[in-house]
This record gives sequence, C-alpha cells and structure tokens, in this order.
Amino acid sequence: MSAMKIALVLSVALLALVSVAEAGVSFKSLNSSKTLTVQAKIQATNLTSGQAHVGTDHLVISWALNSSFDGTGKDASYVNVKIKLCYAPVSQTDRGWRKTKDDLEKDKTCSKGITQQKYVPTGNTTIWRITKDVPGAVYFVRVYAVDALGTQLAFGQTTDKTKTTNLIQIVPISGRHVSIDIAAAVFSVFSVGSLMGFLSLEAIKQRKANSKAIFSFFRAAFTDIIRGQSMLREIKII
Amino acid sequence: MASRKSNESEREVGSSTGHEPVFVMSMETLGEEKNSNTSSEPTDIRGRKFPLPVDSEHKAKTIKIYSFAAPHMQTFHLSWFSFMICFFSTFAAPPLMPVIRDNLNLTKADVGNSGIASVSGSIISRLLMGTICDLVGPRYGCAILMMLTAPAVFCMPLVSTVTGFILVRFCIGFALATFVSCQFWMSSMFNSKIVGLANGTAAGWGNLGGGITQLVMPLVYGLIRHIGAENYTAWRLAFFVPGVIQTFMGLLVLTVGQDLPDGNYAELKRSGDKVKDSFQRVLWNAVSNYRMYIFALTYGYCFGVELTVDNIIAEYFYDRFDLNLQTAGIIASTFGLMNIVARPLGGVLSDLVARRFGMRGRLWNLWIIQTLGGVLCIVLGISGNLTSAIVVMLIFSFFVQAACGATFGIIPFISRRSLGVISGATGAGGNVGAVVTQALFFMKSTYSTEKGILLMGVMMVCVTMVIFLVYFPQWGGMLCPESKATEEDYYKSEWDELEQTRGLHLASLKFAENAKSERGRRVAPALVSSPEHEIRV
Repeated sequence: MSAMKIALVLSVALLALVSVAEAGVSFKSLNSSKTLTVQAKIQATNLTSGQAHVGTDHLVISWALNSSFDGTGKDASYVNVKIKLCYAPVSQTDRGWRKTKDDLEKDKTCSKGITQQKYVPTGNTTIWRITKDVPGAVYFVRVYAVDALGTQLAFGQTTDKTKTTNLIQIVPISGRHVSIDIAAAVFSVFSVGSLMGFLSLEAIKQRKANSKAIFSFFRAAFTDIIRGQSMLREIKII
Repeated sequence: MASRKSNESEREVGSSTGHEPVFVMSMETLGEEKNSNTSSEPTDIRGRKFPLPVDSEHKAKTIKIYSFAAPHMQTFHLSWFSFMICFFSTFAAPPLMPVIRDNLNLTKADVGNSGIASVSGSIISRLLMGTICDLVGPRYGCAILMMLTAPAVFCMPLVSTVTGFILVRFCIGFALATFVSCQFWMSSMFNSKIVGLANGTAAGWGNLGGGITQLVMPLVYGLIRHIGAENYTAWRLAFFVPGVIQTFMGLLVLTVGQDLPDGNYAELKRSGDKVKDSFQRVLWNAVSNYRMYIFALTYGYCFGVELTVDNIIAEYFYDRFDLNLQTAGIIASTFGLMNIVARPLGGVLSDLVARRFGMRGRLWNLWIIQTLGGVLCIVLGISGNLTSAIVVMLIFSFFVQAACGATFGIIPFISRRSLGVISGATGAGGNVGAVVTQALFFMKSTYSTEKGILLMGVMMVCVTMVIFLVYFPQWGGMLCPESKATEEDYYKSEWDELEQTRGLHLASLKFAENAKSERGRRVAPALVSSPEHEIRV
C-alpha cells in the first residue's frame, strides 16, 4: 500500500509541476505603444488630483489618441478601450493581492474596471460616479486599447512612469450603520444577560434545596436525639 | 450490595470537593440506596432508566450516532455541535478576508496578525478550561464560554480599525477552549473502551466548523449582497449568523445539558472512584516527562498547520487563481470538511497498526502520515494549476487531519496519572504551532503565500523527525527495541514510594495491565487480562 501511496504522490507532483498557464500580454511590450493620452478630473474640484468620496463624487475621464500618432496607422487594430482604476504604489506596499506583475493576465494593479467604450481616434469622455465598493486607497486611471478578443494592444494613463503625479485619493464608506451597532449591542446584552439570569436562577434553586436539606437534617438529628433519649430511659440509664 | 454500601461510605469520606455542602451529600446517599433496592436496572438520581447499556459509573458502553436520547447521546451531539460552532465563529473572518482587507485597509502583516490573534487566545483558555470543568462541570464551562464570547462575535460588525479587528479576532478565539469541555464531557459520559472513539469523533466533527464556515460565510455574504446591501455592510451583517447560533447553543447547553449521566454537579456529589490527587504532583509528573514536549511540538505541526490553513486557504485560492469569493470558499471548505472522516480514521489506523506492531507501530504510523502531509504541503505550494492545487489540497488535508487523530492514539499511553495535563499541553502546543507558523511564513511580504505554504511543508517534515526520539522502555521506540522493563514499572514510576505505600498507584496498575496490548503481537495470550478479574473484586 505504501508503494501505491508514493506513486500517487509522485504523479500528483508531476502534474503540479506541469502547470499549464497561458501567459498574457507583457506590460513591458506595451511601453512602445503608449499611444493614448488620458486625463481624469474630480468633477467637484475640477482637479486631476486630490480627494474624492465614494457614492457622491464623480470622475470625469477623457481619453484620445496621442496627436503624435495621428495617421500612423498604429491604431488600426484598436476596437475598444477599457478604462480602469489602478492602485498607486503607496496603496500596493505590503499588499500582495494588489501586486504589479508584467504578465497582464496576472497583474492586479488595475482590478477595478470603470467602463468600456468603442475606440475612436478623436477619443471620448465618461463621467463615472465612484461606486461604494471601491476600497479606500490612492489611485490613477489607465486606459487599455484592446482588440476584438480583449487583448491589450496599447495603453495610456493619467500618471507618469513612476506613478507619482495626478494621484487621486478615494475615501471609502465604512460599511457601518447605526442600526447594525444597535442590533449588535442588543444581541450581546441578551447573551450575557440570559447567562447571568440562568446562573442566578440555578443558584437560587440550589440555596432553596440547601435550606430544605438543612431543615430536614436538623429535624432528623433532633428525632434521633429524642429516640436515643427514650431508649436510654427505657434501659434505665437516665 | 455490600460493595455498593462500602463504595458509598468511601464517597462520603473521600470525595468532598469543597464546593458542595456536606449535609446535601448524606441525604443523597440514602436516596440512592432506596433506588438500588427497588430496581435492578441502573437509573439516574431521579429514577429514570438509561437508554444505552451503562457501566458501574453509569457511563455508556456503546455509542449510537443517530440517537439523541438523554443523557449520553444528547450530550454527545450538544458537545460536538457547540465545539463546531465555536470553530465556525473563530474562522468566520478568513473566507471574507478579500472584502474585509479592503474595507479596513489591511496590509499583509495585519491579516497575518489577525490570524495569529485568532488562535493564540485559546492557548490560555484551553489550559484554564480543564480546571473550570473540574470545578463547575463541563456544562457550565461550555455554556459560559460560548455565551461570553458571543458578544465578541457581535462586535465584529462594529470594527473599523486594524487594532479593533485584531482584538475582536483574539477575543473570539477564546471560544476554541470548548475542545477541552467537549473532551471532558465525553470522558464523563462514555466508558473508557469507547471514549477514544467518542472523543475522536467529537473532536473531528468539531473541527469541521473550520471547513463549514469557509462554505457558509461567503454564501451568507452573497445572499445579503443580493438583497441589496453594499459589500462593506454585507460582510458585517453576515457575522450575526455565527453570533446568534453561538448564543442559542449556549442556552441549549444550559437548559438541556447535564454534566454527568446521573445529573448535574450541583445535584450530585462526584463519583468517588477518582482518587483525589495533588495538582502539584500531577503537574510535575507531566512536566518531567520529555514525551509531552515532543508531542506538543509535533501536534503543533499537524493541528497547528490545520489551523493555519483554515486561516489562509480561502484568500490563497481567491488571490492566486482569481476565483470569486464563493468559489474560493467552496474549495477552501473541502479542507476542513475532510475532518468528518480523516481525523477519526487517523485514530482507527493507529489502533489497527498497534494490533500488530504495538506502540512502535503507532509511532511509525504517525511519523509516516505526518511526513507525507508535509511533502504534500510542499507540493501544494508549487502547484500553479487550479485542478492540481485542489487535488493536492484534498490529499494533504486527509494526511494532516489523520496525523491529529493518530497523535491522540498515542497520548493516552504517555502517562496515566497526568493524562489531563498532557492532553491539555498537547492541545495548547497545537495552537502555539499555528501562531509560530503564521508569524514565520505568512506575515511578511518577502514570502508570497505559495512560498509560505512550501516552507510550512518543509518545516512539517523537519519537525516530525523528533518522533524518532520517543522511547518507551516497555515497548521501544521507532528505531530501538524494547528493554526488559514492563508496563507496570513505567506507570508505577509516576508515583513516589510514599504514594505507593498508600496504594494510590493501584488504578495505574490496572491501566498497565490493559496497556499490555501495546506490545502488539508479542502479547502472550496468558498475559491478556480477562474480564473475570474485574467481577471477582
């Protein structure tokens, strides 16, 4: 049986090593295709950086083909654009689930999709109300030009290469409500209160049983004493 | 009849525990005598018959899983379900971690710290719970713990900072001490011949909670989102589910449960068969036995690994394979759900091997199972493909949990006198292992989670090697054969000469006689104790 176990383990190990993963587009390869210019402004302040609140604030995102690429035919295969909200490095540190990887299939920098639009060389604008599920972090906006299958062909972003300019800090909701707070308090009090209630009830029952027992004990002892006395009187000792 | 009478007088004199009034005890003695006069079947203090066959202590001799009859089977189900719900609450946060970490802006270190906090609280509470059960009974111990930690579960919806999150997970983690009350309760209700099976099944099914929570919490979250709540509100509302169930179970245990087959501690006096032992001596006996440390260490790398994986696996599948919360939860739950069969099977395997090879077989069995678990953990770390990761994880879960069961197949033989302390220390060692593993491999961003899993597997393999150092003079070790020493010598040596002259070691000698089965096939038929011995006395 042990030989079978070893064989099973080895075969599974082999299976694991032969992990077939389809690699996506390499981001580095897109560097030569930074053909789009993108701008994102907070609608309330009309600034490209600053604080924005989820649920209430809007981002005005406009993109277009960079004029230096006009007529070069580089955008021949662009079908759509995908606009994404991406984490700035300060919000990625110590958070491996937001890590930047070169393989765009595995890259987690731009996990929040804003919208998708049809590609036109003159570009487009979108106004997006920041949804309540966006986590509190520092962001920039990136636009990918994709083909019909969704493969990234080119990109543009609001920030520079080091991702330090035009960063927007989004302030999230806490998720807490007064009603939740009250419900939690009520349930907690019920839990502790009913426990205390039970324990005191059982203590009272115990005291009653004890006092009954004390009474019966003394009554039995008294009866014994009387009996003992009458016995002794009978045999003329007292 | 005469023996019963002398038993009762012994009980009057020797078993005063100091917390029941003496006059209550003497009244109950008369009551019990009346009972035994009128009926030939064993009954409890109120004259009710037992649905299962019982021994002289009224502990059940068989176990009927499908029955809920009071008191034995009802206790079994109350006990394992309470333990399960505490596991459920303790590991309710990990499957929702992808949402919580964004809501509270946690870093990897924060998530790691919360995982450590969730298992470290119970190190202390498990050690205390044994004493609490001794003093007030397992029913109170279990119910009080559950109903006092339920507010911590209800506080989870209120956290908005990292510190709050870690603190709340720490407080909820205290509830894992219901393991001790569960085992204590099983040992009070079931005869020593089947207590192993009862304990192992209850522990295994309790550990299920870690798996069920990975399945249920994302589904509850999804349902609440579907009804229309925002994601950061939905995860908070989801926590009311474990909280309410925990409170309900606490109430049920208080109202329906009972400490002993005959009734509750407050109604009865404790059975006098137990020798009143000195806590200091018991503790010293455990602390001076090197095997306790070895098994506490190795349990840290089977149960500790199980706890660690409960904390990280859902997030791992969510992040590495880009699954949604519910799918990651379903896959992660299969790890914990293997406990239904894996942990009891580990104990059963240990018993089977012991029939042929005795204690040496048990040691080899544990070493092989746990090492294979470590190897599979390494393979899990390098599995980059979703299907192979799931398959490897399933096999890995079986081996890790079977190792936990196999460990407790050996623990009862390390010491007879200090079994409670050694079991408690082993259990605490499991939690310490979880703390250390999470601190070493899952806190810093220098290791990705998959690398952490790989290193955890390497550590499992290395640490498990210490089992080679275990040696029982009467049975041998993994590499060394037995010496001329006997089981009586080993178990008698736990008592010093003064205690032996007072005859306190006699129960240990009875145990030593039964422990001869650990010699495996070497046991000569004449040496096996026959039932007639017990009836004559």
